[in-house]
Amino acid sequence: MRILFLELKRVMKSKLTWILLALALLLSLLLAWLPTTYCYSNYTDEDGNEVNLTGLASIAHEKERQADAAGIVTPQRVREAVETYQACLSSYGVTESYDLPEGVYEREILPIAPLLHGVKEAFADPDTGMAPAIMEIDPEQIDDYYSVCEARITSLMAMEQPDSPGAQGKAIKMYRNVEKPFEVYPGMNSTVLDYQNIMGFLVLLFCVVIAAPVFSADYQSGADDILRCTRYGMVSLGMAKLFAALLISTAAFVICVAVHILAAGSLFGWECTRTSVQMMYSIVTLADMDIGGLQFLFAASGLLSVLASVSFTLFLSARCRTTVSSLASSLVFCIAPVVISMTAPGALGTWLCSILPASGTSIQASVLYAITDFQFLNLAGLSVWTPYAMIGACVIEIPLFAFLAVRSYCRHALN
Amino acid sequence: MELLVDKVSKKFKDKKAVDNISLELTPGVWGLLGANGAGKTTLMRMIAGIMRPTSGQVLYDGVPIQTLGEGYREVFGFLPQEFGFYPEFTVKDYLAYVAALKGLPERESPRRIHELLERVSLTDVYNKKIARLSGGMKRRVGIAQALLNDPEVLILDEPTGGLDPGERVRFRNLLSEFAHDRIVLISTHIVPDVEYIATCHAVIRDGRLLATGTTDELVKLVEGKVWSCIIPARAVPEYESRLQIVSLRNENDGSVSIRYLAEHPCNNNSALCVPRLEDLYLWMFPQGGGENRKRTNRKSGRRYQ
Repeated sequence: MRILFLELKRVMKSKLTWILLALALLLSLLLAWLPTTYCYSNYTDEDGNEVNLTGLASIAHEKERQADAAGIVTPQRVREAVETYQACLSSYGVTESYDLPEGVYEREILPIAPLLHGVKEAFADPDTGMAPAIMEIDPEQIDDYYSVCEARITSLMAMEQPDSPGAQGKAIKMYRNVEKPFEVYPGMNSTVLDYQNIMGFLVLLFCVVIAAPVFSADYQSGADDILRCTRYGMVSLGMAKLFAALLISTAAFVICVAVHILAAGSLFGWECTRTSVQMMYSIVTLADMDIGGLQFLFAASGLLSVLASVSFTLFLSARCRTTVSSLASSLVFCIAPVVISMTAPGALGTWLCSILPASGTSIQASVLYAITDFQFLNLAGLSVWTPYAMIGACVIEIPLFAFLAVRSYCRHALN
Repeated sequence: MELLVDKVSKKFKDKKAVDNISLELTPGVWGLLGANGAGKTTLMRMIAGIMRPTSGQVLYDGVPIQTLGEGYREVFGFLPQEFGFYPEFTVKDYLAYVAALKGLPERESPRRIHELLERVSLTDVYNKKIARLSGGMKRRVGIAQALLNDPEVLILDEPTGGLDPGERVRFRNLLSEFAHDRIVLISTHIVPDVEYIATCHAVIRDGRLLATGTTDELVKLVEGKVWSCIIPARAVPEYESRLQIVSLRNENDGSVSIRYLAEHPCNNNSALCVPRLEDLYLWMFPQGGGENRKRTNRKSGRRYQ
């Protein structure tokens, strides 16, 4: 414990550590606030003046306008919303809402918009996946809305995973287990979670930058020669360095994610976190949780990803002779999932993105996007939903790379 | 207490840095003499247990140091040639960190740190960052850390590099006091640093052990080969080209007094001198004149012991 405390003290004495941690905290607040700046609404007031609202004022205005839509998404309420929508557009002789005269959408469609989320997707063509216009949907079919949704996941999985009946079966089973009816509480949008993803990725990068020199800097400066000649300079010191880096990373990530979630919740309203993920993402999302649950799960898997990345970075640090090489190679592996997700589509890309330590919070390929997607890893008849694979990979990688890091440190330069 | 280097060799790709060295280190100060690249640092790293020999082994009281592991490191102190430290640490922080790693009790370590800093005259910089210290001060911090655990085996690789003459004298005295009933091995090419405090010396060249023995035993190897004479100042370049000149001093009358190494006197006014360890070092690792260069080639690989 004494060595661990001294090692923590050593790392925390570095100016770079403090700068990165302060920057991470600042970014957490900034990235929670930024999505509010994209909120925009306009309406015509009682005097006929056009009013433009942005930021928190816009969020408050939309919440007020959509207050009646908040609550449980029963088939009956969805049907009424669709009928209102169809009646409105018919009365103006248009088939799409963007053709409505100015002010009509804001006045008649905006209040029911949250209930219309996913309706088109639920009635998508089972063969082509093409979504119909709301005007083309028969309201009577909505009476059995959740059965329609279940039929949609069946057809979707047949298109997404045609060669994997196991994955199809699992997806259908998962979706059946999702608690229905859904709930919706307007005000928050998916940008909040996108920014939580960016925040997680940046904190991961900062933690990796802090961890990269842990062993390699000692090799480079020669400090290691003295330390490994001491009584506790081998396994004990290796473990102390490992735990210090993991503790600092854990503290940094937990604080930053907590600040982000608290700030986002305060800005957008905590009731929004009770919205079912299906009412913000795809209506057939397989995850059985609300937005708050998604934020928490994403934070927890992000933490695992950060710890796996830091363990892997420490392993690289214990193998490399210079700080530059350990830092460069660690950053390459942090960015790898982003590059792979863009350049290697298909099963190979999915596999790589699922098993790389940094995948959990990677931009475009994180656990967040995996949860809201329908990808499965298939191997020898076994199908695993990618979020499970990502979390499982991190759980294995943390002790594996931690062990390899300490082992590599103990064996360094012996030969 | 005995540290045995048993037929130790270390090969890096095609180069043998240490070639089948056997050495029995008993309590006292040992000087490890050799030119740059002779293999001193490699040998010391193997004795420290931070480098594995290609063949052979190092035993402490008959047990291989790898087997002893923590038990060996507990009684061991090491100052490498390049003293690496954490730039963010003050002297106090660094020594407290190393003290913890050496297993010093938490209550005892501040007292021990103060005591050692007094011994190496660093109490004024107790709270100063190591990065801001002079080269000599950093070296003294390095010496202090090596002594923290009161080691039974102390290995110092070029410990006096960067120390001024006063500091070197203090270091020699400190080491003489410390070395009682302990094995201290000092590698250096600054011969006077070990000449008067080392009980024994080991001389290595090209990875091979050339000679071991006490100062008196070793200087006998150059008995009858150390000469001095007075020559005209204008003749110095000519003498330098053909002799290994150890020292050169201008006299008041325009002549120069030289001390040189040679099998035979170079002129009639040469007188035999009492040899010193530095003469032996220069005899074995010649720096200059033609005759000496020939001698080096001729005696390459010869074992004096």
